[in-house]
Formats: sequence, C-alpha cells, structure tokens
Amino acid sequence: MARFANGKAPFLRSSDARNSGTGIIMRDFMIGLLPVILFAWYKNGIKVYIEGNISFLEMLYPLLFILLGGLISTLFEGLFFYITDKEVRNLKALGKKLAVSYAAIPGLILAMIAPLYTPIWVLMFGAFMGTIVGKMLFGGFGNNIFNPALLGYVAIGFTMLGVINNAGGAFNASEVLVDAYAGATPLGTLAGAKVINYDTLVAPYGSLWNFLLGTIPGALAETGSLAIIIAYIWLAVRKVIKWFTPLIYVGTVFILSWFIGIAAGETGMWFPLYSILSGGLLFGAVFMATEPVTTPKNPLGKIVFALFLGVLTVLFRFIGNLPEGVGTAIIVMNIFTMPIDKMTAVIRAQGIKKSTIVSIVGLALFLIILMVYAIVKGGNVYSALITFVPFIQGVL
Amino acid sequence: MILHKAKGIHIDGRKQMSKESPLHEYLNPQFVYIPLLQQTSPLKRIVEVGDDIKIGQVVALREGFGEMPIHASVSGKVSAVKKVWHCSGKMVDAIEITNDLLQRMDDSIQPEADTTHFTRQELIEKMKQAGLSGLGGAGFPTYVKYLTKLPIDVIIINAVECEPYLTCDYMLINSYPEKLLKGLHYFMRAAEAKRGVVCFKSYNKHIKELLQPLLVNYPGVELKEIKDIYPAGWEKYIVQQVTGKTYEGLPAEAGAIVDNSATAMVFADVVEKNIPLISRVITISGEGIKNPRNYYVPLGTPVKDLIQLSGGYSEGLSPEKAWYIAGGPMTGRAILIDDLIVSDTLGAVIVKPMPENKLHPECLGCGKCADVCPVYLTPTEIKKAYETKDVELIKKLNAQKCMACGLCSYVCPSHIEITDFVGKAKDLLRKGA
Repeated sequence: MARFANGKAPFLRSSDARNSGTGIIMRDFMIGLLPVILFAWYKNGIKVYIEGNISFLEMLYPLLFILLGGLISTLFEGLFFYITDKEVRNLKALGKKLAVSYAAIPGLILAMIAPLYTPIWVLMFGAFMGTIVGKMLFGGFGNNIFNPALLGYVAIGFTMLGVINNAGGAFNASEVLVDAYAGATPLGTLAGAKVINYDTLVAPYGSLWNFLLGTIPGALAETGSLAIIIAYIWLAVRKVIKWFTPLIYVGTVFILSWFIGIAAGETGMWFPLYSILSGGLLFGAVFMATEPVTTPKNPLGKIVFALFLGVLTVLFRFIGNLPEGVGTAIIVMNIFTMPIDKMTAVIRAQGIKKSTIVSIVGLALFLIILMVYAIVKGGNVYSALITFVPFIQGVL
Repeated sequence: MILHKAKGIHIDGRKQMSKESPLHEYLNPQFVYIPLLQQTSPLKRIVEVGDDIKIGQVVALREGFGEMPIHASVSGKVSAVKKVWHCSGKMVDAIEITNDLLQRMDDSIQPEADTTHFTRQELIEKMKQAGLSGLGGAGFPTYVKYLTKLPIDVIIINAVECEPYLTCDYMLINSYPEKLLKGLHYFMRAAEAKRGVVCFKSYNKHIKELLQPLLVNYPGVELKEIKDIYPAGWEKYIVQQVTGKTYEGLPAEAGAIVDNSATAMVFADVVEKNIPLISRVITISGEGIKNPRNYYVPLGTPVKDLIQLSGGYSEGLSPEKAWYIAGGPMTGRAILIDDLIVSDTLGAVIVKPMPENKLHPECLGCGKCADVCPVYLTPTEIKKAYETKDVELIKKLNAQKCMACGLCSYVCPSHIEITDFVGKAKDLLRKGA
C-alpha cells in the first residue's frame, strides 16, 4: 500500500501547462505595450533626430524615460518588500516575490502617459504614489483598488502640472517649432477655445490621418492611435483583455460626442472621430479600462463599467474644466468596481427576476439620465446659440 | 435569456491511452467488499459472517428514500465485516465475501422468455428489485426517476462521458452496442415515452457507426451528436440540447429522463435475464499507470487487483508526488491510500503525477472563472462572500446552483482553488439555512 498526495478537484489545470498562467498573461500584456512604446520612441526620438532638432543621445531619451519608469517602480516595490517582510531580505527571495507581483508595469505605464519632459524626480514621485500608495499599501498585486499607474498620473497631474510645463511639457523639440500648434494639444485647444470647429480643432494638426497615426502633440505614448489599435488586436486575440470593453468605452464616447456635436450645430463625422482619436482615450480604453485587478470581473460588470466610463469621460472632457477626462473617469470608476461586481454578479446569476429588476432598471435609468445630461449640457457649452429646438432637430 | 445560452470549453480528453487495449473481464477477484453505503445512505446489512452467498443474493438494504436491495456480486462465504476506503473519500463498513470461484447463481437469476408483456409498473419494480442506480457518478436510484407523475416524452441516454481520461462507457458500448438500445427500449416502456435519444460526443463517431445499422429495430430511437466540450455530459446541458427546454429541479420538468449508458445496459440484463446490478466497467488510467485499460468487474472488487493487472504504477512514480483520483480528474476525489474498492459510482481511478510546482501569483481578477461558468455564477464574488461569511449574499449569488464541474479552477491562471471555495460557500449556505 502506498500513500498518495492530497489534492483538490479538478486535477487538471490549464495553468499547469507551460504556456499558460498569469505569468504568460502578463508577458502578453508587455508585448502589447511594445508597439506603443516603439511608436512613442519613433515619434519623440527618432523622428525628431532625423529632422535634426536633437542630438543622438537625446534621441534615446524617450525610450530610456519609459524604461526608467519601470525600473523606478520595481525599485520602490522591492524596497517596500525589503522593509515590510523579513523573509525576503535576500536577493533570491526578493526576486521571486517581484516576479509574481509584476512590479515594473505601473511605472512603465506611468512614464508612457506622462509628458515627455516630465522631470525625473516628478516621475519618481508619481511612481511612488502609484506603487507604494496605490498598490502596496492596499496589499500588493491583486488587492489594489485604483489603477496604480493612473493614481500616480493623477497625483502628478494635480500637483506638478506647472513644474512639468516649465520643464518643457509634452512637446518634443520638433513640435515646439510648429507655430500652428500654438503650444496646445488638441484637447487643450478644445478646452481653451470652447468651440467645435474643424478649422480650430483639427486643421492646425494637419488632418485626422495625423490623429490616427499619432503625429500630433500629446503625452509620450498615448497619441499613437494606430499602434494602440494594433496592441488592442493582439491583446484581444491572446485573450489578455476582453475584446468588448474598449469597444464599448470608445463607442460610447464616439456616439455621445457625435450627439454633442449635433447639439452644438456641428453634424460632421469628423468631430466624434477627433474625439476618440485625441487625448488618452484609446490608450486608457485598451490598457487601463481592461486592467484586470481594478475593473469588474464578470462580463456583465465589464459592460456596465465601460458604459459608465464613456459617459464620465465625456462629462469630464466636455463639461468639466479638465483637459483630460479619461484618467479621471477611470480612477472614479475604479472606486465603483466592487459594487458593480457585486450587483452584476447577482443579476447574472439570477437573470431578470423580481429580485433584480430594481437594480437593472436603476442602473439603466442612471446611465440614460447621465447621457442625456452630457449631450444637452455639452451642446450648451460649445454653442452660444443652443436652444432645445435645434438640439431635438439635430438628434432626430 | 440571450446571456444564458449553454456553453463550455474544450478540454484535451486524453482518452486514447485507455482505449488501446480492449475491455478486460476480471470476474473472479479473491475477495469482494460490498460497501454498506449507497449515495449518502447507510445500508442495513442482512447477512452474517459465515453465511453462504450466491451471486445476486440480497446482502443489504437501502432504507427510507430510494429504498432498494443491494446484491452480492460473487458467490462464496461472508468472511468479515470490515472498513474499506469508499470512493466518497471515507472509510465505510463493507461485507467481505471470499470468492469460492464457483459462480453459483441465485435462483432469482433466470432468463425471461418473453419480455413484451411487462407493464410500466412491472418494469419500475424490476429496477427497484435489481438495486439499479445511476452508474454515471451520482448513484441516484433509477426507479425513483421513473415514478414521476409528469408526462415523459423522451428518454435520453447519456453516453457523452465528458470527463477526460474516462472511456468506460465508450468501451462498454463498443463491446455490446445492441444491449444499449435494448436497455433504452425498456426504459422508454418504463416511462411510456415515445422517443429515445442516445447522446454521444462528436469525436466518438464510432458509436454512431455501431448503432446506426441497429436502429431499424428500435422505433423512436435516434442518435444525437454533442459538441466536444466540457461539461457536455451535464444533465441540464444534454436535456437542453435534445429538447430545447431548461428546468430547475429534475429533467422530468422538461419531459425527459436522463440515464447513463452503462445503467441502460445493466437494465437490459435486468429485464431479460433478471441479473441485478452486480458489475460495472471501470477505467484504470492516467500517466501513473503502466497499461491503462478498462475492466469489467464485479462490484466490490479491490482496485489494487486491477492496478496490478495493468502492470502496476509506471516506473519512477513516487506516490507522495502523485494523485490517486477516484472518478474523473475534473470532479473526482484524491484518495490518500491506494486501497479503494469498486462501487456503483466509481467510473474510474486515475493515477497522475502532480505537475511541477510553479510559483503562482494572487488572483489578478481576470474574470475567466466567471466567463466559463456554465451556470453563470461569478465565483470570485462567491469567494469574497464566503470569506466575509455573508450567507445572504451567497444565496443571492446562487452558489447553490454550482454543480462543482471544476471549470473555474481549471481555467484560473493563478491556480486558485476557486471551485473548492464555492463548495465551501455552499456548505455554509446549507448550514446557515
């Protein structure tokens, strides 16, 4: 008679296979970041170098900046482990621990969404806020409520904006020379001019093709729409992210912007396209609205989450005074991840029944009211002439 | 609801290894042990140590709900009553019968000259007297299903066998295809159903080739191919595939009764030869077995005999780094001592080396477990509710609907025992309610 090992059913696990498991998901996620990083390097480094505006070493800077972000947050996390956990005070144990907590990602992403000339110490501050406050104090990987990178971004955005702008801001050496930009990113122009007009919003930056390719001023990596779309396809095919979350998010913004355009008297399709291609929307939709830890887990929850993100982004972007609505919208929705998860899990388990109808109708009504408000108010902000009649005509 | 269409995922079947060798008969183990447990009901022993026993003689009774007799599977002497390992993971009392190798039959085992005159009641009574229970794994007394007052349109034979490694049902059908149709025919008569459907998995096309030519003699019987996904053998899934209807409690609500193929084949013998449920086919397989095979054995046969017949464990297998699984790998149970006995619900013993220990991170919240759940639960939320002991929420999250198919643990990239957590939540619900 032999004694066998104990175990729990099922005795087959897909994660036992060599090419699966959380490590592989994270590896695929990093691969997804690659085209976006490369494009950011091309746009802010190689291209500017070819145009003769920076030296060879300066050409390497954007790439180094992003990698530095990853390095800084890894160091912070290692330091945190070292201080708080006596058992990992040797390199081997520390390395093992860092390998399953994916420490580099927050800093990496933070650097990607920061303006190019963010001073390194500001980046460190952001990485500290993201990794230590946003992630480790909540209990580390898997337990954080806020997207760590975004928390760092919001922290430096609210406190260090002046410092970053003094240091050079988002404009690379070539973009500074273009007079037409007038020192503003597309969304900055929108927030400043408060008009919906092709000549003001798109024409200074060339055409919408430039928006798609990403050769417009903006934060380091988030302008590369095409690269982000390629990353999206890769991540969706590899099932790292749910394919519908970014689509619903971007779709909601598209439709709401379209209606706002109509309400403000601008019926052209260019406006909703401009709206989804500028700012950090695509980047946020693909890499942050899908971030597994801080977003709802069940499919229904993801749908609700994405819809709310779309509405909030539009509200913050067009009605609030923030130039960038995406980051704030995602941070705000991160708070609601837990209640959404709970609510939608019950709805999903029970289906449409008496016990769930109140929450279903409540959610739907709340969403619709927010959407209508966004359209009416947005139309109001961007058109001096708005009355309800042309708005209704426009919608119909 | 659109969101609630039936689903599952493909899992590598690993069935080939036990299909290569034909079905082996092993009818004369030296000892058999009849466990005094059926499902979760303890049985009342009615023989004493020293009694002379014939094949088919009643040795124990199940009482109360699902009452029925349990029969001896070999002839010989009752030599002891002792504790054995049962596939439920517990040690239970069992009647030890020392085989005299004479295969003396009880007088009740007589061939029926004519089976056409049996009425519905007589057929149901035969199921009961034969101690017929579901051989698919649940062990539910078959006759109880046929006592239903609801009209039954269709008898569904479940030959899907969606658990990886298992080939016991397939091998049995392969050997006696006609018996399956006979059993189904009697089942249809026992429920006065007009329609009978044999469900098999798409890669087992061979079953179709075997059964198709025989169908002419069995009006109302049809074959249905089921997609190669797990858990396609789940009763609700099959009933939905065949009738298009869903139900809450029993398949009878959808006008269907589902029986395992092996059960149907035993029933054919019950009706035609009056042989009660005394034997079954068991798969002995897994990477830890030298020659994986299927065995046709009397109930109560020690599994170690069968492993010996299969050449023992494969070389280099270290038991403390391997699992000895009673049942399929998805829903089975790890048995710590390799001293199991074959009982009605034990379809397989899988011996499998444990995979290498990888370093696993915490739940990253990917939601794959919720995606894959066939009953649309959100296991992560149930786990959370369990951790905070929120019974009310567990109930709202429908944890009781979980059938422990194991898919959530299977897909989890972080190797979390999520199925186990849902099981614990269910236990909490049962205690709390």
